[in-house]
Amino acid sequence: MSIIELKNVSFWYGRKTPYEIKALDDISLEIEENSITGLIGHTGSGKSTLVQMLNGILKPDSGTVIVDGQDIWAKPREIGKVRFKVGMVMQYPEYQLFAETVREDIAYGPKNMGLEAEEIEARVSRSIAFCGLTPEILEKSPFDLSGGQKRRVALAGIMAMEPKILVLDEPAAGLDPKGRREILSGIRKYSEESGTSVIIVSHSMEDMAMYCDRVVVMSHARVLANGTCEEVFSNHKMLFDAGLDVPEITSIVLAMRKAGLDIPENIYTVDGAFSALKSLYGKGGQN
Amino acid sequence: MNFDVGLGQYYESDSVIHKLDPRTKLFFVIVYIVAIFVARDAYAFIPLACVLVFAVILSRVPIFTILRGLRALVFIVLFTAVLNVFWTSGTEASMIFQYTVIPDTWTITLYWEGLYNAGLLAARIICLLVCTTLFFSYTTTPIELTDGIETALSPLKKIKIPVHEFAMMMTIALRFIPTLIEETNKIMNAQKARGADFNNGGLIKKAKALIPIIIPLFVSAFRRADELATAMECRGYRGGNGRTRMKKLKMHLRDLFWFLIPVLLLAGVILINIYGNGYKL
Repeated sequence: MSIIELKNVSFWYGRKTPYEIKALDDISLEIEENSITGLIGHTGSGKSTLVQMLNGILKPDSGTVIVDGQDIWAKPREIGKVRFKVGMVMQYPEYQLFAETVREDIAYGPKNMGLEAEEIEARVSRSIAFCGLTPEILEKSPFDLSGGQKRRVALAGIMAMEPKILVLDEPAAGLDPKGRREILSGIRKYSEESGTSVIIVSHSMEDMAMYCDRVVVMSHARVLANGTCEEVFSNHKMLFDAGLDVPEITSIVLAMRKAGLDIPENIYTVDGAFSALKSLYGKGGQN
Repeated sequence: MNFDVGLGQYYESDSVIHKLDPRTKLFFVIVYIVAIFVARDAYAFIPLACVLVFAVILSRVPIFTILRGLRALVFIVLFTAVLNVFWTSGTEASMIFQYTVIPDTWTITLYWEGLYNAGLLAARIICLLVCTTLFFSYTTTPIELTDGIETALSPLKKIKIPVHEFAMMMTIALRFIPTLIEETNKIMNAQKARGADFNNGGLIKKAKALIPIIIPLFVSAFRRADELATAMECRGYRGGNGRTRMKKLKMHLRDLFWFLIPVLLLAGVILINIYGNGYKL
């Protein structure tokens, strides 16, 4: 079942001015429930614009956005409610922290939802656990934390709203490899345990291959491909044409094939490559 | 939030007016403004308007753009004009009509003088606005303008006034306006995504709703200031002493021409004031 459906959505920046740019060109797309969808595309392909359509920050110039079976712009005055259903973590979310303590900052979203104090407290503790933070941090000022910790607090602030759909725009940008892994696997765990559908925008093919179930490729304001990781990453030519890359391990596998090694080409994780090589070695030993 | 301000946007072109030295433009505008306020005779406004129209045509800025810039100030012009219509008294002969609102205490009297005054004052304000926006914003980048001000005021350095520092502060402030607007929009979107509501509720609630925007905005402005200071020091910035410029301001022959125009205009306006027989403001 699809939880988000875009129908013929188009959007321009600076429409009817000399600086008009078409950011989304007649996009139709379905996002499946209980899955992690990766959204990839080079800079300026329309990824960030697309995700801002999903919670009504931007309004499409034409077409409809259907979230959870409802057209979100059917009642424009109630667009605020959509934002509790679709949680959005913007790029570099650490710059939106403002409260005196981490606890207050994470509670800001749930408070705006009008929840009871006890429920808010419970949600705050749950969300920090998913983000790999410890309760001591709650009384600290968000401005005293390290960059990686700030990022997690900002993420926890959205998770505490417990939206049905969680959208993350480059959640791991600018973090070190360890921070990257922890944040992304935290998101994966959160999605699996809470049944939340997740959309991740990223540049990193490796992260997509590791953490996503499905991948949507965007190029020049259009959707180029939409399928499982295997379907998308095996179409090397399409990715290269869109100015993107295949995961590093896939390039290695492709180079091996070129060198004459009989290894399947639809490999996009290190584990996959490992087992393929092992079976190849096994065969070699027998002969 | 939409920051659609027509007034004060640079209009890209390579017209004669664009190429003028910013110091010439400063001189022109100052003398022109003096001329506007010196003008008392109605006929004096004819050369003033002609010179301005001439400059607008030469600058190749579309007249529509200039009119749109004026739109924001229509209210001020109307307000001044209306005040003048009713607050000017004239002679018995020039009275147009009289209306008594409350007998013996409040009568509205309209004189021809009032209409003339209103018209001339409106002309004054419009000339003033068109002249300053044309020369300072449509045809001059903020950087050129501050450069011009700095060089024009550099003699003041002799009496220990930190002209360079002021000019640098102005340049930086102007440079960061669009950045801060963009930043504000980003933060607003992020807080909206957390359910912030900026439009509903009473005054106190609305003011409170701004806290989640203002604090991150200040934090990031301070961070930017810090980074900028470091970057400037890394590139060897240590104030204005001994600093050379990549673009040296240079006067050309055309600048002489534009120096002469306002001087002649001012002289003309004074002569018309003395010898003209139009309505006197």
